[in-house]
Amino acid sequence: MLEINNLHAEVDGKPILNGLSLSVNAGEVHAIMGPNGAGKSTLAYVLGGRPGYDVTGGSVTLDGADLLEMEPHERAAAGLFLGFQYPVEIPGVSNVQFLREAANAQRAARGEPALSGADFLRLAKAQAEGLSMSMDMMKRPVNVGFSGGEKKRAEMVQMGILDPKLAILDETDSGLDIDALRIVGDGIERIMRKPDRAVILITHYQRLLDHVRPDQVHILSAGRIVRSGGPELAHALEREGYAALGLEDARS
Amino acid sequence: MTLTLPSAREEAWRWTDLSGLPAIVAAVPDAGRDALALAAMPAAIASERTDTRLLFVDGVLHSSSTPGRVRLSAVDARTDHALGRHATADGWTLDLAPGQIANVEVVHVATGAASHVPAHVILAPDAVASVTETFVGDGWTNRFFRAELGKGARLMRAVRLLHASGFQSLRDEALLGEGASLVATVLGAGEGSSRVDALVTIAGEQAFAEYGGAMLARGEQRHEAAAVVRHAAPHGQSHQSWRAVADDRAVASLAARVEVARHAQKTDGIQSLKGLLLKRTATVNIKPELEIFADDVKCAHGATVGELDRQSLFYLASRGVDPARARAILTRAFVADALDRIGEEAVRDAFVADADRWLDA
Ligand SMILES: Nc1ncnc2c1ncn2[C@@H]1O[C@H](COP(=O)(O)OP(=O)(O)OP(=O)(O)O)[C@@H](O)[C@H]1O
Ligand SMILES: [Mg+2]
Repeated sequence: MLEINNLHAEVDGKPILNGLSLSVNAGEVHAIMGPNGAGKSTLAYVLGGRPGYDVTGGSVTLDGADLLEMEPHERAAAGLFLGFQYPVEIPGVSNVQFLREAANAQRAARGEPALSGADFLRLAKAQAEGLSMSMDMMKRPVNVGFSGGEKKRAEMVQMGILDPKLAILDETDSGLDIDALRIVGDGIERIMRKPDRAVILITHYQRLLDHVRPDQVHILSAGRIVRSGGPELAHALEREGYAALGLEDARS
Repeated sequence: MTLTLPSAREEAWRWTDLSGLPAIVAAVPDAGRDALALAAMPAAIASERTDTRLLFVDGVLHSSSTPGRVRLSAVDARTDHALGRHATADGWTLDLAPGQIANVEVVHVATGAASHVPAHVILAPDAVASVTETFVGDGWTNRFFRAELGKGARLMRAVRLLHASGFQSLRDEALLGEGASLVATVLGAGEGSSRVDALVTIAGEQAFAEYGGAMLARGEQRHEAAAVVRHAAPHGQSHQSWRAVADDRAVASLAARVEVARHAQKTDGIQSLKGLLLKRTATVNIKPELEIFADDVKCAHGATVGELDRQSLFYLASRGVDPARARAILTRAFVADALDRIGEEAVRDAFVADADRWLDA
């Protein structure tokens, strides 16, 4: 589904990704771990097409289509969803309005008819319930005044409504209490664990992976994947830390 | 008619371009104006509550009007204001007895010439009036509006500037008695330029005034709002909330002043002036002023000019919203709270729809 080949990218002229390659098949969940500053969020932003993140080499395809050629909104319509490490607050725009615009923009781009107001509200209600969010919260402005954990749950409601092919979730587990972690983990499983879907979970901790079991775990360090393995790699990391794996130089 | 116009060299007029006015003054109204007047009728909001409908075509009352409680004749109000003082022709007067209620809607159609119309609203104690005005067409539409609110009277005023070209000038003066309340909202969402001048005087204790709005400018448009709230009595509250949006090479300017006289203790005056630049070639001027002579007052002001938030734009894009739509959504959110204050739903919806039409064009 996703093929990243020898990707190089820089931010403000500073090289951050240095020849990153990764292949994710439909039906798979991949975890990416790695020290602070390794380039995990940068990878997510580069895939999402964030302005200021310049690709200087390599290629990325989503279901065979050149992702890097697309505008950010076209990538979303092509089935990419980015869960933000720091979800953005948008005063004056309600979650419901925001998501209805987004869902119908994606449908229009794919040549599908728009959802009616009633159909959309039904969908929003079902997805919000699935993540224990009230419709009252959905009527509030996007992420404004939401706690850290509420923002992450709201992002999962967005994912449920937009129903992407590939989700890249950047530290969706950070800031979640024990119950919320389970709710979010279950939500990811329910929405994305399907033969034609795939997920990349960026995380620092094993605990999310207890809820969403990865098929592969990768360690990203200094802008490239330096080690890949099965779920046991995350356990080893949790026990021993990056230094024991010979990765302490990533913080230079 | 020869007119003396203020010069851009005067401080209060430096952001306003009046250079096109002499040509409009010399122009002759369009002979086909009746047809135009009828074509303009959809511009009316026609809320069910409206009991008085006035249609002015080039400043002349059209026969389709239903004057209701309004009197049409010379108006018993004058102003020194540089443009407002030219509005000396016949106009309309609403004079409500204690406790009376009126809902007035006025549509002004201009067909390329200049017109000057005064209006006078007199509310006896506890009278309640809603006055909604819509301006469409081409030319120079110059208006003077004076309101006097008795004890406990309430005036809701909503003005839409939707003209296709030319210039719109509006001079608003309001005098508020004890416990009176004025809520006025102006929306500039047409294609012509404008100048809105307001002077609200809090003359009685515990009066309340909200005066503000949203001015949307693009192309070569120039919009300017210059509002003064003068607190001349204790325990008054005022809130001036303005939003200016400028695109292309347009200029949108906001000047708002709060004056608090020495004896106007316990005044609470809030000013919120915000500008949004949609292009770097556009200009937003913002000038907040406080002139406080009383010592026990609470006055807060905020003034900012910025661009659309890049992070918000990317967040919308990452969810599939195309850049033009994302900009429109964020711009709409920026102006929304200036229009939210309109109390009557039908009027508020119409104003929001006009702003949306501007944003989607
Ligand atoms: N605008 C910028 N200019 C220069 N360097 C930047 C800029 N943005 C990010 N970086 C650098 O890029 C590197 C990678 O950052 P990134 O946010 O991708 O790390 P991360 O792996 O997500 O870390 P964390 O685990 O802390 O979230 C960091 O060293 C960061 O300082
Ligand atoms: Mg990060």
